[in-house]
Amino acid sequence: MSEFIALRLREFRRLTQDGWLSLGFLVSILFLAFFIIFPLGKILSVSLSSEAVPVYQRLIAGRATWQVILNTLKMGLGTAFAGTLVGFLFAFVQVKLDVPLKKFFHLISLLPIISPPFAVSMSVIVLFGRSGLITKDLLGLRYDIYGLDGLILVLTISFFPVAYLTLLGMMRALDPSLEEAATSLGAGKWRVFRTVILPMLVPGIASSFLLLFVEALADLANPLLIGGNYTVLASRIYMSIIGEYDLNAGAVLSLILLVPTLLIYFIQHYWVSRHSYVSITGKPAGYSRPLQSKWVKWTLFTVCLLIAALIVLIYGFIFVGAIVKVWGINYELTLEHFRFVLLGYGSKAMTDTTLLSAIATPIASLMGILIAYLVVRRKFIGRNLVDFTSVLGLAVPGTVVGIGFILAFNKPILGGLVPKLTGTALIIILAYVVRSIPASVRSGVAAIYQFDPAMEEASSSLGASSATTFQRITMPLVRPAFLTGLIYSFTRSITSLSAIIFLVTPQWRIMTTQILNEAETGRFGNAAAYCVVLIAIVLTSIGLMYAVVGSTTGAERMIDI
Amino acid sequence: MRHSVITIVGILVLSLVLGACASQTASEPAQPADAAAEAQEPAAAVEEPAVVEEQVSGPLTVLCGPQEDWCQAMTAAFQDQTGIETSYVRLSSGEAVARMEAEADAPTFDVWWGGPSDGQVEAFTKGLIEPYIPANAALIPENLKDEASGWTGIYVGALGFCSNQDVLDELGVEAPTSWDDLLNPKLQGNIAIADSRTSGTAYTSLYTLVLLRGEDGAFDYLKQLDSNIFQYTKSGSAPGTMAASGEVAVAIIFSHDCVKFREETGANLVVSFPAEGTGYEIGAEALIKNAPNPAAAKVWMDWALTPEAQAVAATVKSYQVPTNPETIVPAEAISLSQVNLVDYDSIAAGEAKSALIERYAEEVREGAAAPES
Repeated sequence: MSEFIALRLREFRRLTQDGWLSLGFLVSILFLAFFIIFPLGKILSVSLSSEAVPVYQRLIAGRATWQVILNTLKMGLGTAFAGTLVGFLFAFVQVKLDVPLKKFFHLISLLPIISPPFAVSMSVIVLFGRSGLITKDLLGLRYDIYGLDGLILVLTISFFPVAYLTLLGMMRALDPSLEEAATSLGAGKWRVFRTVILPMLVPGIASSFLLLFVEALADLANPLLIGGNYTVLASRIYMSIIGEYDLNAGAVLSLILLVPTLLIYFIQHYWVSRHSYVSITGKPAGYSRPLQSKWVKWTLFTVCLLIAALIVLIYGFIFVGAIVKVWGINYELTLEHFRFVLLGYGSKAMTDTTLLSAIATPIASLMGILIAYLVVRRKFIGRNLVDFTSVLGLAVPGTVVGIGFILAFNKPILGGLVPKLTGTALIIILAYVVRSIPASVRSGVAAIYQFDPAMEEASSSLGASSATTFQRITMPLVRPAFLTGLIYSFTRSITSLSAIIFLVTPQWRIMTTQILNEAETGRFGNAAAYCVVLIAIVLTSIGLMYAVVGSTTGAERMIDI
Repeated sequence: MRHSVITIVGILVLSLVLGACASQTASEPAQPADAAAEAQEPAAAVEEPAVVEEQVSGPLTVLCGPQEDWCQAMTAAFQDQTGIETSYVRLSSGEAVARMEAEADAPTFDVWWGGPSDGQVEAFTKGLIEPYIPANAALIPENLKDEASGWTGIYVGALGFCSNQDVLDELGVEAPTSWDDLLNPKLQGNIAIADSRTSGTAYTSLYTLVLLRGEDGAFDYLKQLDSNIFQYTKSGSAPGTMAASGEVAVAIIFSHDCVKFREETGANLVVSFPAEGTGYEIGAEALIKNAPNPAAAKVWMDWALTPEAQAVAATVKSYQVPTNPETIVPAEAISLSQVNLVDYDSIAAGEAKSALIERYAEEVREGAAAPES
């Protein structure tokens, strides 16, 4: 036992001998503790304190609470099901079919990743609402899009890329020789699909399903806009804070949302992802023969084409919304909305949001790489905890992060060492960083696993310090992952709403909350122009980061993390 | 004639502000930017009360009740004139009081500007308002301000029905002219109104019904109406955008908002009023207790009563009737004298608000979560 402790201590001492690197480790770990563990602990302590008892009583007594929970589950399951199906279809067409437009399908399925919140909802309301361009003017229907069906539609479009990318990676990695073996043993195409391919994809499908479920539960923007009177937990939390300003109720509802979300996320993270049949042998095992059946092929292609067309229509229609007088009513062309965003009131939101995101991005990416390095290459007590914590920022719904931040930082703490952070721009940056770190860590971990530690060992035995080795050997090798982290962090920050909606201050205007204000008061034109500008900023920044950091990876791999 | 009146008012305001500033201690140094701006426009600066206000510095944070574009225009105009850095957050009445209550010790906001005075009265009864009556409030008619609860009216407007004629035609319904018309089964799922918990507009309708039908009668009515309601929105004017886009046939909103949406969208919106009587709002301003920057808040409140500040409304198509008799009334405004009004006492309405809202939440909304948009 004492030997064990001595060993651990020695490991720990080794960590501190890393020079400036150990400072980086220390900062990263403190950051996780202070800005992830502490706020979540605060939610726990508030929602389990005696002050919260009346809130529970009120919530349990209210018939609506159970309805809200039921609504949330229906929405989550519906989205997970539909999203996984669409993701599967797109991945299948991509890998198994020999059809045209595959590159186009791929790009289309990446579009929702960089899209700002509300964009899809607004467009869908104008297209398919009661007085929608398609439902009313084209089909003569008076269809009510507000509610569960509308929500599942927009959430599926917003989140199916998650399923698509997961399944795409998995299908590409499947060993075609198994399929060939089954075929040579006389199995038909359908039988091969059912008994060989599908079982191997079960972990991927389960994983997509769970991830989509969690994403749907955590989403705030769409329920706010298209939910109508259909309330879900995220929007109920929003109401508690913005409408009633009841932090206790917010904390309790956050806990209700947090428990299933975390549970499912970690089932996905630790269990499903371990049960993978994907084997990378490194040997070329032949290539997957495209599906031959014409009937199946063109049916799937048509479905895929229709969905892609719908997505193009929805996003294209946002551009239309930004340049016409009154979206949905008056299609006279105007530059008024762009003037509002670029030169008028919105210009401050544009610069503020870009600035804060740009500050958060390198911080999140650097910490992400450091934490990844620490988790993969160093052994120390609490390594698993660090790994676990770094993922929390993504697993925890944004609204919960926001409430945790308010509860934790709305007064000076540590005896005034840390001043009151709410109401400052700093807390927004911190929220951005917390939300972006997990992706940076994950891409970093993947990259560091890929290269042999022998290279670093060689550097060390030649006398380089840990810091030098990290700088000269590790960093260049993980540069693509670093770039991925940068791009992801920036996109995630600038488009995030749920985490910062409770933290925004009058002095710093954030584009996503401005979009909410505009959309909520029916000024869809301004909101659409904001969305277009936001997409433009994201695309420009991605280009810029490529130019500065440089990369050898293809555009598709950068988002495929 | 009008010109000379404005000049007199201008001089009056100037002297008031001068007096107010003189009483303030250690004046802060003028900001260089303001000095530069002043140098550029020396002629305009002479008559503007703004010149002396440089001693009050920002930032000023306004809790703004009306629509976004009016809030934007007002804060921009104020900042231009005074050099006081001004920002705002738009909150509906219910949200505003909840927020002010939660941060009573360290308020974010300095001044609450706009929204039905019932809200300001409710806030006052909860000890969240520091009574401050701008000296130029003397110009405002007696019934549009209340010294005791510390608010001054900035505009008035009547509650009405905002209908989309095209949708009405499709449904085969006439524009409603009484509260009972809204119970028409043909309008099922075709009426939008805000939630009284968050919206001051919706509370005005609730209290109007209480006046017309007694408390129990009002709640019976609202429960019946519920089956015709398509959506309860968070902000009071949002139902109007739904009527404009044809999502609903009728929105119960302030009539001036309906006119605004009609002008902005070109939608076929018609305004009608219940014959048995309708309520109205006095959009009010009040100083927030423990405001971080009360000096700037007072400058804002004084300024907001001037004709030039009140004229900002019409530039963003907000056609409320201004309270200052000197302000030019826009042609599009619906004057209260055109409408059959109930005897709406906003002090009583504000004092009754907390209790009525509780009953509303329980009986009409049945514990449903308040709405989001």
